[in-house]
Amino acid sequence: MTPRRTTRQDAGDNPPPDRSAPGPGPGARDAVVVGGNRIPFARAGGAYAGVSNQEMLTAALDGLVARFGLQGEVLGEVAAGAVMKHSKDFNLVRESVLGSALDPRTPAYDLQQACATGLEATIAVANKIRLGQVESGVAGGVDTISDAPIAVSPGLRRALLAAGNAKTFQQRLKAFASVRTSDLKPDAPRVDEPRTGLSMGEHQAVTTARWGVTREAQDELALASHQHLAAAYEAGFFDDLVTPFRGLARDNNLRSDTSLEKLAALRPVYGKTLAGTTPSMTAGNSTPLTDGASTVLLASREWAAERSLPVLAKVVDADTAAVDFVHGDEGLLMAPAYAVPRLLARNGLTLDDIDFFEIHEAFASTVLTTLAAWEDDTFGRERLGLDGAFGTVDRARLNVVGSSVAAGHPFAATGGRIVATAAKLVAQRAAETGRPARALISVCAAGGLGVAAILESA
Amino acid sequence: MTDTYLKLVNAGSTKTLAKKLGLPRPAVLRRFVPGQPLVVGPTLVLGSADHGAPRDATDAVARLLVAWGLDVRRDPAQLEDGARWGAVVVVLTEVETPTDLSSALLALGSTLRTLAPSGRVVTLSRAATESDVPAVAAARHGVDGALRSLAKELRGGATGNGIVLGPDLAGTDGLGVPSVAAALRFFLSAKSAFVDGQLVTVGSSAGTVPSDDAGWGAPLAGKVAVVTGAARGIGAQIARVLARDGATVVCVDVPPAGDALAKVANAVRGTALQLDITADDAGTRILDHAVGRHGRLDIVVHNAGITRDKLLANMTSDTWDPVLAVNITAQLRMNEQLLASGRLADAPRIVSLASTSGIAGNRGQTNYAASKAGVIGMARATAPLMAPLGGTVNAVAPGFIETEMTAKIPAVTRQVARRLNALQQGGLPVDVAETIAFLASPAAGGINGEVVRVCGQNLVGR
Amino acid sequence: MSAPGSAGGPDDQRRPGAAHDGLAREILELDGVPSLAALYAKGVTRPLVDRLPGRGPAGGTPADLPPVTYRVGALETRGSAVAGRLAAYAAHVGEPPSDVLPAGFVHVLAFPVATAVMTRADFPLPLLGLVHLENAVEVRRPVRLGDTLEVLASADDLRPHRRGTQVDLVTEIRTGGELAWRGRSTYLAKDVVLGDGSPADARPADGGSGDGDHEATTWARPLPTARWTLDAGTGRRYAAISGDRNPIHLSALSAKAFGFPRAIAHGMDTAARALASVAARRPDAYEWTARFAKPVLLPGTVDVAVTPTDDGWSYDAWHGRSGRRNLSGAIVRR
Repeated sequence: MTPRRTTRQDAGDNPPPDRSAPGPGPGARDAVVVGGNRIPFARAGGAYAGVSNQEMLTAALDGLVARFGLQGEVLGEVAAGAVMKHSKDFNLVRESVLGSALDPRTPAYDLQQACATGLEATIAVANKIRLGQVESGVAGGVDTISDAPIAVSPGLRRALLAAGNAKTFQQRLKAFASVRTSDLKPDAPRVDEPRTGLSMGEHQAVTTARWGVTREAQDELALASHQHLAAAYEAGFFDDLVTPFRGLARDNNLRSDTSLEKLAALRPVYGKTLAGTTPSMTAGNSTPLTDGASTVLLASREWAAERSLPVLAKVVDADTAAVDFVHGDEGLLMAPAYAVPRLLARNGLTLDDIDFFEIHEAFASTVLTTLAAWEDDTFGRERLGLDGAFGTVDRARLNVVGSSVAAGHPFAATGGRIVATAAKLVAQRAAETGRPARALISVCAAGGLGVAAILESA
Repeated sequence: MTDTYLKLVNAGSTKTLAKKLGLPRPAVLRRFVPGQPLVVGPTLVLGSADHGAPRDATDAVARLLVAWGLDVRRDPAQLEDGARWGAVVVVLTEVETPTDLSSALLALGSTLRTLAPSGRVVTLSRAATESDVPAVAAARHGVDGALRSLAKELRGGATGNGIVLGPDLAGTDGLGVPSVAAALRFFLSAKSAFVDGQLVTVGSSAGTVPSDDAGWGAPLAGKVAVVTGAARGIGAQIARVLARDGATVVCVDVPPAGDALAKVANAVRGTALQLDITADDAGTRILDHAVGRHGRLDIVVHNAGITRDKLLANMTSDTWDPVLAVNITAQLRMNEQLLASGRLADAPRIVSLASTSGIAGNRGQTNYAASKAGVIGMARATAPLMAPLGGTVNAVAPGFIETEMTAKIPAVTRQVARRLNALQQGGLPVDVAETIAFLASPAAGGINGEVVRVCGQNLVGR
Repeated sequence: MSAPGSAGGPDDQRRPGAAHDGLAREILELDGVPSLAALYAKGVTRPLVDRLPGRGPAGGTPADLPPVTYRVGALETRGSAVAGRLAAYAAHVGEPPSDVLPAGFVHVLAFPVATAVMTRADFPLPLLGLVHLENAVEVRRPVRLGDTLEVLASADDLRPHRRGTQVDLVTEIRTGGELAWRGRSTYLAKDVVLGDGSPADARPADGGSGDGDHEATTWARPLPTARWTLDAGTGRRYAAISGDRNPIHLSALSAKAFGFPRAIAHGMDTAARALASVAARRPDAYEWTARFAKPVLLPGTVDVAVTPTDDGWSYDAWHGRSGRRNLSGAIVRR
């Protein structure tokens, strides 16, 4: 097979990694975040109605290329994915690269880990950079609900396949004779968990009830998300993170004028049938279905330096956990509560060592149940194997420029949004204080998955 | 943005009809394409002293043109039957009295009927100053009037422009001055298609001319340029032309224009910088980006501008203030930061977009005209600050240019506005961009504090 | 559990020289698994015949069950027919693909044999209108696709119920001569009185059987771990897979004829879904129980809680809004 990809690497004083060694361990060399680009996130059925995943991902890539002058550059790879994907998009990311301003010889692959796709892609590319397999890469994700794949029913599919294989007109007729009226109804994609039939919101409603998270706490977190995001936009924080698309310059779910009163007026939408609980999850403290795409440019320090590109942060480490929600053991979106303690312990860090917490707001209550679990003695002892509670997150460090409740959550695109945001935050903080700054990223995902990562100013 | 009328009167049966009706028939202008000949047809060089001594200046021009590979003739009669002059260069640097103008200008007049479509007339003269003998000043300034008038008489897309040697160049014949050569080449070329009736003063012998054709082909090689308002229209075209001429271009526009900006940046293989130029630190951020990413900053093109048209009687601060803030205040602040930084490359260039509205005024545009006239004032006053750096600052004043913005003008008004110039048509964004690229080039180092109109010699203003 | 169909039934297949099982029941050999359609035809017509003047039971229902065990010596599961049926079953209830037959599928395969017992002329309860109260299955060892199954079915333990009379149908599956699977299905014949006794607590039929309607208010439902969204065609699809074409499952119209507001889901369909929810971690040998309370009306959604226990899982399924329990049971390691 081809050896290491050679774009413009091994220049300067940095020797190539020792290939005879069993493999460089963590920190063998750094993978750094150069920057990111995303398109504004749009509520489903709105600004991006009819826009395909490929168009959105290509736009996000092109914005990244424009920001960093990568026209015609052969990158090590582009790794990205989509949760909602048409079957024709089997090579979605490669096709997007071919349609972008990148050199068409840039390799690409699709990956998918539900809502953690973007973060997992970042980890994948960063690891290849750390191993010396590539010098640079783009991680990203894209999703559209507005152009979601609609499948034909199994009955119609079988008939179509049979008809396709038929040799005579009679055989073809016969193939379709088996089709029933009900088979003509298209299958819309489901956002329910396949094994439980519960939507993510219903799952989280159960977890919310289990941890006794109040409506007020959720609304306060949602309000903070909107206020933080709006303030960050006003301050120009996203000027070099977002490129407008299709007439949208900002995330159109953002309600800078919302208030606790407005949020409190919304009717609950999840957990309405749970016994003994007051339903508390509303459209206001949950993420809407959203369209969007995001990208992150990762590189070795050498590659970035050769091109005079900025280095915002290095990817320190990452961890993925999963929980058994199917058999009632744990809440669907609680895996980060396990991934984060493990990740911090492995790196000799505590919650106090983190300057910025970027906890994906699948729902406001997802963040709150995670925090509650970490503050809970029993959870710490019985679930995390600690002496007591894991710890308390300083809320002043949490989602300081807003998160998914305000920005929206195009599943696979959220990871890239958060990584680029966190990288910029630590870079800014380090520039202000002259001291290293750290960000902890935590993303929960369908299927009981949770991915966490640490970024550090570089 | 398409000038349908221009197309109709130049093709097919509608062309015949227009001829019969005596309708104005604007010509299709010859525009620059890399590799095309500088001038199509023979070039005639005339001098004020052709019928007496000295001939040095005229000879020097002829030698320069020959060196550029032109077919140079010295006698109006030296034209084959059926042939047409590609260009006529009139050297008037040595005129002493108004009567000295007659021989050369009458000789020029005899060639105009045989001037090729998109032909060129370029005069070379000296600036009249207060210290001149009155007769000398009268003769020198007389060129100004003659040039502007003959430019209005030219047909078929031909243009007339003049190069004026400033007082500091009194002792030279001008041809050793890099910017004179550069201006001559620019006016002869198709790059100046929509520049007409303009006199550009070369004030100093600063600047360097390319040594060969390859150099003329990429005059901005190795330079880093910033273009504000680069997402669309004229700004996007400026970015393209600067990149074509070899510059690395940083494309700047407000964040909401970022998608179009990215497309331009990718097309010119530059970088996109989403930035509101009214931000306090805009100049510094532009410097940081250009120097940080590309190692230097040579050229700044202040193109970003907005309009909020209202009659002054109806004007409020909502419509007045933003126009001034974007079109002039932001430029002033950025220039201050750029100049104070000490981080500009040697011989930096600033080119700022003015407007014919800022020169002649325009009903409903007091705010816009104030800002654009302000640009002209700023350019003149900033010029002395740039000179010590070997740098220049100039203003380019577009007339009616076919853009998305002018496409919104009501149809009849638009048709009238288009024809109100000697070329009887609107210019294209590329015409503005070519002029800016010329002023930004190393060879134009002797042109500082000037205002060059790209207006097809609009009937109003200078 | 009834459907129109043609005549003919297991009685005609009785063989001479049949053996007796341990309970002194006569073992009657069947050539194969009988046709449910045919059995239903018989099951439906018999009560009609019984109701003819002079033909019906004069006082109560006979208190004796037929002393027979029906046996199918070799039910083959090889071949594409069973495999296709298994695939349809697995897709329907949510079982992962496997060549180990889910306990519910074994029930489906053997069900006609038990039904044959219930359609005998000497079976004391009318097939039509029987309500499935409970089901308990013991899986001793995996039954695999391709195995040859020996099926034995008999009726057992006829006893009074406060609302009528109940009976157990016991089915055993042997492979290689050893017991692999044993199922006990408890049915209620509402308002049917044994002998000359009377039901403990006669009420109008409402389709439910549970332990009392007050349960809806006293039962503390847990937080759900899953939700089943069952569309209007659920009953028709399970009927096609299982062969159980009782009209109460097929359409709102046919269900109304039997006093239900809409079609109801097959109890065994819902129990099979609960079993499927732990499929990935189910051991080779287990017990699977189900108690059917309020029927699941179609279309409808059912909230489900699967709760880990020391030796397996318990489960509950209920109507989300009203909280009325549809189903409860357990899957327990053996």
